[in-house]
Amino acid sequence: MVFTMKHRLTERVPQTILTIILVLSSFGSFAQDYSGDAGNGKSLFNSNCASCHKLDKKMIGPALGDVTERRSKEWLVKWVKDNAALRASGDAEAKAIFEEFNGSVMPAFPNLSESDVEDILTYTIEGAKPVVDNNGGGGTGGEEVAAESDNTVILLVLGAILALLIMLLVRVKNVLKAVKGQPTSTLVQDADVITKTALKNPKIATLLTILIAIVFFQQLYLALMAVGVHENYQPEQPIAFSHKIHAGDNAIDCNYCHYGARKGKHSNIPAAGVCMNCHMNISEGPNTGKEEIAKIYAAVGWDPESSSYIEGYEQKPIKWVRIHNLPDLAYFNHSQHVTAGQVACQTCHGPIQEMEEVYQYSPLTMGWCINCHRETQVQVESNDYYAKMHEELKAKYGEDAEITVEMIGGLECGKCHY
Amino acid sequence: MAETKKYWKGIEELTNSATVQKLAENEFNSEISTEEFLGNKEKLEESQTSRRDFLKYMGFSTAAATLAACEAPVVESIPYVVAPEEVIPGIPNYYATSYFDGHDYASILVKTREGRPIKVENNKLAAMNGGANARIHASILDLYDSTRLQKPLINGEEANWSDVDTGIKKDLNAAVSNGKQVVFLTSTVISPTTKKLIGEWAAQTNGFKHVMYDAFSYSGKLDAHSASSGKRSLPTYNFKNADVIVSFGADFLGDWVGQNVSADYASRRKPGKDMSHHVQFESNMSLTGSNADLRHKIKPSELGNALIQLYNELGGSASGGNTSVSAQVKEAAKKLRAAGSRGLVVSGTNDADVEAITIAINKLLGNGGSTIDYSKRSYLRQGDDAAMKQLVADMNSGNFGALFVDNLNPAYLMAGDSKFAEGMKKVPLTVTFAEKNNETAALSKYVCARHNYLESWGDAMPADGVYSLQQPVIRPLFNTRQTEECLMTWMGKTGSYYDYLTTNTKAPNWKKALHDGVANVSGVAAGVSAVADSTDKAGFFERVFGGSDENNTDNNVSTGAAPAADVNAAASRLSSAKGGAMEIQFYQKTGMGTGNLANNPWLQELPDPISRVSWDNYLTVAAADAVEIGLENTNESNGALNGSVVNLTVNGKTIENVPVLVQPGQAKGTVGLAVGYGRTAAGKVGNEVGVNAFALFNGSHHSTDVKIEKGIGTHGFACIQLAHTMMGRKIVNEVNLDTFLNKPAYGEGGWNEVTEFETFKGPLTSEETNLWDDFDHQTGHMWNMSIDLNLCNGCGACVIACHAENNVPVVGKEEVRKHRDMHWLRIDRYYSSDMNEEVAEEQGIGAIDMYAAMEKPSSSPEVAFQPVMCQHCNHAPCETVCPVAATSHSSEGLNHMAYNRCIGTRYCANNCPYKVRRFNWFQYEGNSKFDKNLAMNDDLGRMVLNPDVTVRARGVMEKCSMCIQRIQLGKLTAKKEGRPLKDGEVQTACQSACDTEAIVFGDVNNKDSQVFKLKQDKRMYHLLEEVGTQPSVFYQTKVRNRA
Repeated sequence: MVFTMKHRLTERVPQTILTIILVLSSFGSFAQDYSGDAGNGKSLFNSNCASCHKLDKKMIGPALGDVTERRSKEWLVKWVKDNAALRASGDAEAKAIFEEFNGSVMPAFPNLSESDVEDILTYTIEGAKPVVDNNGGGGTGGEEVAAESDNTVILLVLGAILALLIMLLVRVKNVLKAVKGQPTSTLVQDADVITKTALKNPKIATLLTILIAIVFFQQLYLALMAVGVHENYQPEQPIAFSHKIHAGDNAIDCNYCHYGARKGKHSNIPAAGVCMNCHMNISEGPNTGKEEIAKIYAAVGWDPESSSYIEGYEQKPIKWVRIHNLPDLAYFNHSQHVTAGQVACQTCHGPIQEMEEVYQYSPLTMGWCINCHRETQVQVESNDYYAKMHEELKAKYGEDAEITVEMIGGLECGKCHY
Repeated sequence: MAETKKYWKGIEELTNSATVQKLAENEFNSEISTEEFLGNKEKLEESQTSRRDFLKYMGFSTAAATLAACEAPVVESIPYVVAPEEVIPGIPNYYATSYFDGHDYASILVKTREGRPIKVENNKLAAMNGGANARIHASILDLYDSTRLQKPLINGEEANWSDVDTGIKKDLNAAVSNGKQVVFLTSTVISPTTKKLIGEWAAQTNGFKHVMYDAFSYSGKLDAHSASSGKRSLPTYNFKNADVIVSFGADFLGDWVGQNVSADYASRRKPGKDMSHHVQFESNMSLTGSNADLRHKIKPSELGNALIQLYNELGGSASGGNTSVSAQVKEAAKKLRAAGSRGLVVSGTNDADVEAITIAINKLLGNGGSTIDYSKRSYLRQGDDAAMKQLVADMNSGNFGALFVDNLNPAYLMAGDSKFAEGMKKVPLTVTFAEKNNETAALSKYVCARHNYLESWGDAMPADGVYSLQQPVIRPLFNTRQTEECLMTWMGKTGSYYDYLTTNTKAPNWKKALHDGVANVSGVAAGVSAVADSTDKAGFFERVFGGSDENNTDNNVSTGAAPAADVNAAASRLSSAKGGAMEIQFYQKTGMGTGNLANNPWLQELPDPISRVSWDNYLTVAAADAVEIGLENTNESNGALNGSVVNLTVNGKTIENVPVLVQPGQAKGTVGLAVGYGRTAAGKVGNEVGVNAFALFNGSHHSTDVKIEKGIGTHGFACIQLAHTMMGRKIVNEVNLDTFLNKPAYGEGGWNEVTEFETFKGPLTSEETNLWDDFDHQTGHMWNMSIDLNLCNGCGACVIACHAENNVPVVGKEEVRKHRDMHWLRIDRYYSSDMNEEVAEEQGIGAIDMYAAMEKPSSSPEVAFQPVMCQHCNHAPCETVCPVAATSHSSEGLNHMAYNRCIGTRYCANNCPYKVRRFNWFQYEGNSKFDKNLAMNDDLGRMVLNPDVTVRARGVMEKCSMCIQRIQLGKLTAKKEGRPLKDGEVQTACQSACDTEAIVFGDVNNKDSQVFKLKQDKRMYHLLEEVGTQPSVFYQTKVRNRA
């Protein structure tokens, strides 16, 4: 993992610098004033453009982060509203870009007004800026990794110094003894004498026994309590899927792929079909190139060369390895937590957006569940379901009481075990 | 060494009869538990394992287990490649479809999870038969029966469809070109589209005949209606309008003519001024008889005369009418006269003469259009016994080319007539369409493996104007085909049956009909008959689907007097018929019907509502007759019931060793025997369970030619109820309508008096004398359940629904015998006793004698049913005795059970006054010793399990959770939508299965809820209120409408 992160870091640094240079030095030929509403632009971009364009990367269409530098505003408005007409009018630039992207047709957006397009273009300028910050964040992550390895070195050095000191002291002692004319002893002999004397002393022996027993039983207890607890479980998956790239860098909403989490008991592993929504157009990734994405294509039967599904292909489902294995005796419903409870995914799954490979972040023990139920407040204010109950609870626990899951019966056995 | 004495269990063991030997061999044939092993000294000594070895093994396995547990599990999780839009993992989808197996019909909803059908629910939109019975609720398990045919068979060998098609086409052509008969033998067909297809087949096949035969035939009834109205179909009955119902042997709440009338019946059983009055004349104690206000015992042969008397009392004049119940008939006649057109007389036999008199009586009452609808004909029974008889004769005559059998198991149903099997062997081409190998399939050359109904397309027209669709809810599990697809292939038709169905459907709006499952098609029926007429060569169709149109005048005609000549002829035949010293009445058990689903373990284990016996059929005998013949029922020390056996000879045919159950309420001089048992080729569950009554059957539902001879040995029953009377206690609180209407409920001597205890503070109720701190039940929800004992008719649909919903295991006969049944919900049945405190006082009988007499049910008992599940006590005795707090109380008034916390001390069950806790004595899941527990013992069966409910392990206690998974789901849905929970939104499985609405569940903290209102009802009482458990379940007093 460390390796891959470093690998990504080295890859990202030049890219980052490039972006910075591009953004800073981008007052080129088409520098024009864009004073649209970037907020509106963002929502329009996300709903209309984002499936094919990104600001900083080429997808189906070109990256749009610097499009205002490359093209004039008038041209862009014409292109967005009806690119086919623009091409038909014989615009060379339009034809060229069409050729460059293998004749992928961009739909016309006659419903967008001129000011809408300007909003979007404003967003492409504004929205491109935070990319710099993001990459800065990535950089600090890399430093943390370095710091960790530094620690080990320091400890090793300290250990060596300590060993040296002991050796020195023994040497000093022997020199002193030799001076006094007493027989010298080696380090090993000293240790032997001390141990024997100590063991002959019943107090020390008892104390030692107790100590050893305590450590033994503590370790035994911990080992037994850890049976069936698979915290940090990180199995190898059939596809080296990176949540960091998807949920972190690209900030795809968890619910986009795991759509079941909002609606039902399970947070489903997405079908390969869901992957294809984007990967129809992205056949190459930053981590592993084409290799891993090709596995999705093998599952669904997609031919990236011809950009089409292979007819009559026998689809092969992807056999993911399940990480979070809650025992059957406990009932857990994702939608209860995600939708009704408004709990963020990260509360239980940890910093998923930073994980290259997912591991089990939480112990998933009953104590862990219960603890959260004791502390978590219920969304009583914003949900009409609780309206009547809230009044009753206020009467019971006081007007200002914070209503926790425990207070509405969230610790009762039957709420999870049936 | 101590001397080993031998004790005999009984005189039979001493004489060492064959039965005893067999029983003894079977006693421990399931070597399951270590207790049995350790208890057997010899076995233990034989064993080579020393204690040291044992410790070694144990140490090693513990270490191994610990190591194994440390390994992280590799569980694969395989998502769809392309996910279907409608499937979201964890969220059920419901599809409307129809069930028809030739006997039972219902429009139902099927709950599917991740594409697997897991539960049947009632379709509340259905105009007819929207309430599924116990069998239909259980039918879901049959889909996952691993004994289903997975491929077609040729001469018993697995084959592929192309060979089957080629072979059948060749043989069929040969039969047609030789001018031989080609017969399509089916159960009643209610699908107009299938009928059309059969019609087209008939048109292109010379010598084609379609014969319909019903397993428990009402052919005589149909003939009578054919004679009276010209249409060979039954009218529909409207119990909603019936003020007075007089039934002569018609078990209309159990099994009758296919129309489900229990909801309509129940709608008039709510106590009040317009409560209906129901009188039942019958020989066997039926489900209907046990719900009647007045029940009179009568021999089957007397039914005709009783009807003649009633006919005469109501103004008819026919000869005959002398019976032993003339006073009671007179009384019934009085009530009927008063009710007039709001009266209803029904009869239950397969005798055209009896039905002719019944029709005549109903005409005298003028109830056409009121309680009987002659214009809306029912098509659920169309079988023709005469045609079947002709078929058997034709097969034996040799002029027979091909026999196709669908949806019927004639080899089993005609077991009494060896000519059928013989004849079938003479037919060159025999084809059976079957889902499972059955008795008929075993005799057939070709067996076409058929889809389960949940994999098939279809439609149904159970009555005029009522139309429902059948849609597949899962892809075919095996290489099977539905019958219609086969026919289309052989007829050379292109396209699928789905295409054919959509083209020919009667639904005005296909998509809506598919969504609703049903469609109103009034006035369409006429079209059905027109199609049938044009193609039907055998002239059969016009007799069925007689057609109805808007200007139907059937009901007007029926008010007129019946042709006196017909009635007189029928009456003279009936009155001259001789009774026998002993008569037998065949009947169907609630769980088994005609035995279609004999391999369904849920149904086999469903205790009969009357006898409370599962896994058996038996001869029901009146107590007086039992004494005369020397038959008895005894209980072993563990409560297991044993019964004598008899050799039963009916119509000259004998079955040996028929077990005997002494049945209170059985008419003296009669016995009863249920059909549907004694299957030989049903599968591992249904084979050899009980005896086959069809072997004695000759079409008539009763026989006067009966000989009973006491057999040797005893039979072990799996009966789950030991005490049959209430011993003078208020377990089922019951009151007469008169008292209910006019007397106070509460207070001294009130009919719903609350028990009070004498204390130093004066008399106090149990609630006021309790020792416990109360839970807070004002905050949030407080779940309560009301069970109306007037509406519950004991049908058992709720028990099966509970099985399916909560993954309740099936334990098998031997375990049920030990009262180790696992039902979370049971329906207790109580008989009244002739003895009570007043009688004892009058006759000066002492307390001990009085209670001894109270244990004996009356020979003409009144019957009460009481569904009992965990009562969810708010001062629960189980909670206080659990040493590990595995059972605890919830803030919502429920008693929770955490299975994984339970260590199996069983203190809770011992301390439960309601005896509703069930202990897992064994591992029922994945255990070959319990292979009859189909739902948990192979991967196919497991598909039926409800994924929201745990499958319990060995050694833990379980019980009704009030379907907490449904409560949680209902609450969650409301939370997600950000709105308060609506009343009625959360329904328990038993409640939604109950089509009489006897069970109502809800939040009593919601003052607008139905259950809150019911809790205030003056009929409300708690079971064993005096114990002070403060249950969350309460009952509504049973009210009987007696004069």
